Amino acid sequence: MTRGTLIYIGQRLLLITLTALIVSSVVFIGVHQLPGNAFLTERRTNAAAQAALLHHYGLDLPWPVQYVNWLTGVLHGDLGESLVNRGVRITPLVLREAATSATLGFWAMVFTVTLGMSLGIVAAVKQNTLLDYVASFCAVIGYSMPSFVTATFLVLLTVTGFYAWTGGTIYENIGWGKPEQIPVPAISLGLLPSAIIFRLTRASMLEVIRQDYVRTAWAKGLRSRIVVIRHALRNALIPVVTILGPITTSVITGSIVIEYIFGIPGLGKEFINSIANRDYNIVIGVFTFYAILVGLANLLVDLVYPMIDPRIRY
Amino acid sequence: MVNKGETLGIVGESGCGKSVTALSVLRLIPEPGRIVSGHIWFKDRDVASYSREELREYRGNDVSMIFQDPMTSLNPVLRVGFQIKEAMVAHERFDNKTADERVVPMLQKVRISDPKERAKNYPHQFSGGMRQRAMIAMGLSNEPDLLIADEPTTALDVTVQAQIIELLRDLNRDMGTAVVLITHNLAVVASLCTRVIVMYAGRIVESGPTRQIFNSPQHPYTWSLLQSIPRIDSTQHDKLLTIAGLPPDLSNPPPGCLFHPRCRFRVDRCSKEEPPLEEVGPEQAARCWVLMKNALAGAEPVR
Ligand code: SF4
Repeated sequence: MTRGTLIYIGQRLLLITLTALIVSSVVFIGVHQLPGNAFLTERRTNAAAQAALLHHYGLDLPWPVQYVNWLTGVLHGDLGESLVNRGVRITPLVLREAATSATLGFWAMVFTVTLGMSLGIVAAVKQNTLLDYVASFCAVIGYSMPSFVTATFLVLLTVTGFYAWTGGTIYENIGWGKPEQIPVPAISLGLLPSAIIFRLTRASMLEVIRQDYVRTAWAKGLRSRIVVIRHALRNALIPVVTILGPITTSVITGSIVIEYIFGIPGLGKEFINSIANRDYNIVIGVFTFYAILVGLANLLVDLVYPMIDPRIRY
Repeated sequence: MVNKGETLGIVGESGCGKSVTALSVLRLIPEPGRIVSGHIWFKDRDVASYSREELREYRGNDVSMIFQDPMTSLNPVLRVGFQIKEAMVAHERFDNKTADERVVPMLQKVRISDPKERAKNYPHQFSGGMRQRAMIAMGLSNEPDLLIADEPTTALDVTVQAQIIELLRDLNRDMGTAVVLITHNLAVVASLCTRVIVMYAGRIVESGPTRQIFNSPQHPYTWSLLQSIPRIDSTQHDKLLTIAGLPPDLSNPPPGCLFHPRCRFRVDRCSKEEPPLEEVGPEQAARCWVLMKNALAGAEPVR
């Protein structure tokens, strides 16, 4: 890694921090303009207890003061306390959930990239064969199915379907924590983007195969495997890597729904729960971490870029 | 038709089938193109009969090729040195280590300065001329019997063109590799090749030793080509001749001599029967009913 790359990473990290700060500030201010608070629904509390609660969280102060207090906390890495579950600190909670979401997102990306790229290559090399048609047809379906539909189908298939077919030996145990619980949600999350990657890889391969340097590679008498993988694929990957950034973002945001469906204790589930509970402190924390996660994932993708294309240097 | 160590020029307008001929030699014609008639013989074997593996061994090892546009002919994501080495390793003629060691001398041979550093560069760090040199180094790295250069200088500056041609000439002399130069540029042919083939609409219309063809072209097409080159010794009043019209559509060729719609010397027979390629002088052959020696009989000699 060159010095330039390190400087670039430093700059990007600084930008991510800044983005996270801005995002959380906007959400903080937005949320505090909303009517009502987390305690309104708790009927058992009387007015005095409510006032005590508000005071405990500093919610009785004017909001600019609250903002400054909150910001001081954030700058020390403290996102505050859950409004619903007293005593629960948000930073470690959200950190843990972010790790869960990142794991799910990582495997979804692995699935997406492997499936999309390998099928894309094969379809391009075997253009206009049955294989190409079938793969392209499936891609159109994958492309047009939202992840919650895919997820529902997969749940049906792997839970009831597998249970019935194997007499109850193999079936999906919906939940989180065991390695075997990763694939189904990861596939649900990754199927749509893999269709996008498939189409892009195929198109880009088809274009590259016609390039002069691929003809040169043939003219040199290289083996077809080397021509396809070393000469065509590496060049075909360049536009595919470009789209990995936006795809990563969509996988991360897509995990909100998937986590909820599969009951995965990640950021996405917390996001929905905290909104339903009006636990604004957590809402802000979740938003902040989403911003960080998206930023980091995109940074990672951008770092892959120069590895594939030597013309790009940071 | 190419002899060992020879330099042959194939000349013609664009779109007349020169490049396709060259690509056919390596069987690199893109789909759906096919060789419908004629054969390509290499050392007494028909290239069309090669198996996949034989073909692979033949490409880049027996015959190698350099292309028109050096800017796009090298892979942008691989180091230049590696691309040269790869050509050598592919044919098992050299093991990995020897191939590695040969890269720098090869670059030196094609006169790339600082070859050791340059081998580590990527193509985008090379100029056009240097890329073409690298292509030549790659083409010659396996010491092939034949190097086909398809318009190797067209995309380059004039000064670089001359250097590349000179390089090809020297390498032909030093390494004994036969060179087939495909071009539309007669000046380039004159400076490199001992023998010329002139093609029109996919057919050979004239062939012979370069000097002879330049001094007494027999086919009207060759003659017109030569007339269309500006000459330093011509007086100002001489107009450059251009050949009116375009090469024929090969999917719907005209009857008789393919050149007759554009030929200023045509006779009745020309539009009915296609002339055969016939001997017209020592080692010279032309495909024409009339021939320039008759067409210009009585008139002033062309040059
Ligand atoms: S055969 Fe006739 S038309 Fe053809 S080149 Fe000769 S003179 Fe011209």
